[in-house]
Amino acid sequence: MTALEKPDLYEIDGTGPALKLIFGQCAACKEQHFPHTGYGCPRCGARPEQVTPEARDGRATLLTFITLHAKLAPGITPPCVVAEAEIAPGMIEEVMLSGSAAQYRDGMTIVARAEEVERNGETVLACRFAPEEEV
Amino acid sequence: MARLSDMRPVYVIGVGMHPYQFASETLYIDMGLTAVRGALEDAGIAFPEVESAYVGCTGIGMAAGRIMFNHLGSTGLACTQIENASASGSSAFQLAVLEVASGRRDVSLAVGVDKTGDQVRAVQKEKVNRLSDTATIPLVKYALMAERLKKEKGLSAEDLAMVAAKNHTNASKNPNAQFRKPRTVEQVLNSTLVAGTTTSLMCCPRGEGAAAAIVASEDAIRRLGIAGGRPIRVKASVLQSEQPQVGREIPSVTLAQRVAEMAYDEAGIAASDLDCVELHDAFAIEEILYTETFGLAPKGAGQHFLRDGGSAIGGQCCVNSSGGLIGQGHPLGPTGLGQIHELTRQLRGENGDRQQPGARVGMAHMIGLGSISIAHILTKD
Ligand SMILES: [Zn+2]
Repeated sequence: MTALEKPDLYEIDGTGPALKLIFGQCAACKEQHFPHTGYGCPRCGARPEQVTPEARDGRATLLTFITLHAKLAPGITPPCVVAEAEIAPGMIEEVMLSGSAAQYRDGMTIVARAEEVERNGETVLACRFAPEEEV
Repeated sequence: MARLSDMRPVYVIGVGMHPYQFASETLYIDMGLTAVRGALEDAGIAFPEVESAYVGCTGIGMAAGRIMFNHLGSTGLACTQIENASASGSSAFQLAVLEVASGRRDVSLAVGVDKTGDQVRAVQKEKVNRLSDTATIPLVKYALMAERLKKEKGLSAEDLAMVAAKNHTNASKNPNAQFRKPRTVEQVLNSTLVAGTTTSLMCCPRGEGAAAAIVASEDAIRRLGIAGGRPIRVKASVLQSEQPQVGREIPSVTLAQRVAEMAYDEAGIAASDLDCVELHDAFAIEEILYTETFGLAPKGAGQHFLRDGGSAIGGQCCVNSSGGLIGQGHPLGPTGLGQIHELTRQLRGENGDRQQPGARVGMAHMIGLGSISIAHILTKD
């Protein structure tokens, strides 16, 4: 099976291309955060033992998106689309969108899915968000 | 927390620069010494009068200051290197100011010097992935913000281009600036598209250079016989780091506002008292956002303040008369001290064809990766 590019952030949801996002759930402050890390709770500072990973469906609300025209990071192939999305109530993350900007509009529901990308000559599954009806 | 206003007065007595430039073979020592000798000459003092030095740099390596100062005569001064990303020079200045304010020293030097290339970002060693491969690239955050404001309040690509054209044109009159060509709105819009509506001329260049400032107490000013009218008072020095994002405002923008307000409070001024501001326009949209968060323009009206000439030289409060990061350049270590250089000359009335008429109060405001924000308020007493 093809490896996930960033397995600390997401996991395959069932059999399809859909991905679940891995949040951190803190037992001390009862708050959730993203991403889950090995360092503890970024909200209250609780130790890592207090935080458990919790996979939640990768559904998000698209807030804003732009097309990148320059190779601003090693992993990207412009033109590509990046966005701000609300992945849980009040939690806004920068995400990468599948395909071109034409199929997106602010406020629509987008869903995380696995897409093949090349990394150091190997194919891995990266997380890209796409319109809900496509996944 | 003790405030600068509770301590003894501190003054900038000398400033110097080595022009900012694209990466070259010039050695950091040559650039640093040019800035330091310029500041000593400007103050009219000799190096042995300097009791301590703070050296801001990000890409040179360990212990750059000692190596530079060896070539000025080994006076045995206290010497500390400061790294605070884009705000390294500002932080070096803050520590020099606090050292004099506290009474520990009478004369202290802050110098920023940098070369492009060896900067390593600690965030890359955090071993925490992000969903987006560009999540730690500030340009993308600000381009997303520009897109959102385009829809929400009609902020146009022309507005962003107007910031860049103003700052490039200011820089064209500044012999220390990296870019020396006046630019029109059309030229900025027609430069290479980078992200969303942001073009290459709306972004600061990478580069190298040096800037220095010497600060002193009233006792030292009397003892050294520095002429009245030249020393510029440092009235506030504030640094804070960002808090988690609330709602959709970029955390560094919220932070910039908090720091500006703390600085106004410490200096006992209001935004309306400011005559000149040097701020972190790494990307054109930042200048529009910060003129609002600093209270120079009402919230949501930053582009009108710009279009009406409020931020032009001769306007209500000139913003980035040096050319800012976009025009003067952003070599990291020196950048914050380049701001102090510009404001000092403005407040002395020595800024030539970039002089803001009647300038008495100025603010230097920087953002450093991470983010941290730092502000200094300077006044002509
Ligand atoms: Zn917690």
